Amino acid sequence: MELLTRLIAVAGLAIIAAVIIITRRAWVPGIGHAVPSIWRIAKITVSEARRRRVLRVAIILVILVFMSMNFFSYLSPEEQSRMLISGGLSAMTVFGILLAIFVAAFLIPGEIDRRTIYAVLSKPVRRFEFVLGKYVGALIIIGVLIAIMTMVLVAVLLIQDAILEDLPDSVFDPNIRAVLFASFMNYCSLCVLTAIIIFISTISSTTMAVIGALIVWAVGSMQSILHDLAEHAVGVSRATLLVLYHVVPKLENFDFRHEATNLIPINMLSAWNEILHGIGYVVVVLILAAIFFNDRQV
Amino acid sequence: METDNIVLQTDGLSKVYRSLFTRAGVRALDDLDLRIRQGETYSIVGPNGSGKTTTLKIILGLISPTSGTTTIFGSKIADLSVRERLGFLPEDAYLYDCFNGEELLDFYAGLFGYSRRRKQQLADELLALVGMQESRRVPFRECSKGMRQRIALAQALVNDPELLILDEPTSGLDPAGRHQMTRIILELKRRGKTILLCSHFLAEVEEVCDRVGILYMGRLVAEGSLAELTGEPTEIVIATSDLAPAQTRQIADHPGVVSLEGGVLRMDRANEDQLWAVLQLVHQAGGKIVEVTRPRPGLQDVFVRAIGEERK
Repeated sequence: MELLTRLIAVAGLAIIAAVIIITRRAWVPGIGHAVPSIWRIAKITVSEARRRRVLRVAIILVILVFMSMNFFSYLSPEEQSRMLISGGLSAMTVFGILLAIFVAAFLIPGEIDRRTIYAVLSKPVRRFEFVLGKYVGALIIIGVLIAIMTMVLVAVLLIQDAILEDLPDSVFDPNIRAVLFASFMNYCSLCVLTAIIIFISTISSTTMAVIGALIVWAVGSMQSILHDLAEHAVGVSRATLLVLYHVVPKLENFDFRHEATNLIPINMLSAWNEILHGIGYVVVVLILAAIFFNDRQV
Repeated sequence: METDNIVLQTDGLSKVYRSLFTRAGVRALDDLDLRIRQGETYSIVGPNGSGKTTTLKIILGLISPTSGTTTIFGSKIADLSVRERLGFLPEDAYLYDCFNGEELLDFYAGLFGYSRRRKQQLADELLALVGMQESRRVPFRECSKGMRQRIALAQALVNDPELLILDEPTSGLDPAGRHQMTRIILELKRRGKTILLCSHFLAEVEEVCDRVGILYMGRLVAEGSLAELTGEPTEIVIATSDLAPAQTRQIADHPGVVSLEGGVLRMDRANEDQLWAVLQLVHQAGGKIVEVTRPRPGLQDVFVRAIGEERK
């Protein structure tokens, strides 16, 4: 079943690529207009977040969390390092999810509530450009925060490693590459989650988008449990669980914290598979978001 | 009516807002036909809930009509080339409030794909036009209502539009701000812009508009130029002074005089042939003639009459 899902994802990507290539004559002139519009909307989304000090507050919180992780002095040096990697990556996941939810869920409904959307949509901007601009803007905001958190975590790890290196019983050598990769995969999962939040916000309110995002995140992080439950369920319950299993993205597959903490080699093939799966999912979700938003009464 | 120079046209535009769970609906717009010609200033007036904002939203493609069509410059609003030729000033100047006027103009001009140099030039020109050069770096949220409205107007003009849609441009402004905004609209009119204006301020509408449409409960109940709507003057008003109180009764009893209060004498226009006799009577009574006018009914009177007839 797992293989089947992945095959469907790859086939989906192949179909999308084929449609893009076949219809390129129709959309190539439009792309010349769409890309700058998307970029301008993304830029103003980022500038607005910067002016509203969203990033500044989030960064200060994260640095405080990372600093507090060095207070577990009763642990052995090795345990301290593992704790730092595991705790740091977990904090990044939690902050990333909270940021994704509270940035993305407010972007489109916020524009509708404040009516700032009127002046934008009366300009030569297509609605799908507006949706994609907001998505790209959200990804930049989240990306900047994840990058800063990663830099802080790596810096703390390197400092700690330098301190512990001189100790006689120091055997733990943190794999910085694995930490960077786990952070990158965390960002990829947030890209998928953000696309879903943007989709929900194009058809409903901010509140619904926040609730929907929390449900998707919870279900997406428990996909293996969901699969096991489906195996043992019957009738409607089984069908429901299977639908959830196949429709909700498998966010837990983007989680490489365990590998980074315990120095387990990363299966790159599986990771790239998840990235491709995620891209396909994002493309489909954003196409749906653009279709629904096109008919939305603002 | 000429059809070759029509900039904006709506045909049978209707909008029914339906409840999600019941079949009940509220008809916000009912079979609206509008024709706005090139270079004219047209105003939609009407009480709250008459369908003015719904009309503008449909014209701008922000909401879709239940039935009917809208064409601007002969095309649908979905056509980007149409939106390149129009400007929109939203009611209450809803713009991103953490940016200043210069940054806002840079963003909105950027949506038209202008170069950095062109954007800078536009910002200078437009901020000068709306009198905001000195306050160009003041964050929008810190601007007064009048300043916000002027920045919002500048963003509507960023593409030098042929058609300008203004939703309540003077709403919430003090008399000085209202006067300034009216002056800018008149200047835009002088430059040949076609203007569609929604306003509650009938005096402002009278000052700037060529034609007016009165909307009530989603229907266009009256439409025409100010002269057409107000019609011919129906009375003659004679302002007098120094009139002895003892003589006023004799003048008031004269045939054709409708009333005489506070030195102001009103005559029915049908009795215009009696005007000279009445003026002589005032003169003989020791009074002075200050002014003789034949005032037209104001738009306010037309508005009240049209709405009143519909209510009946």
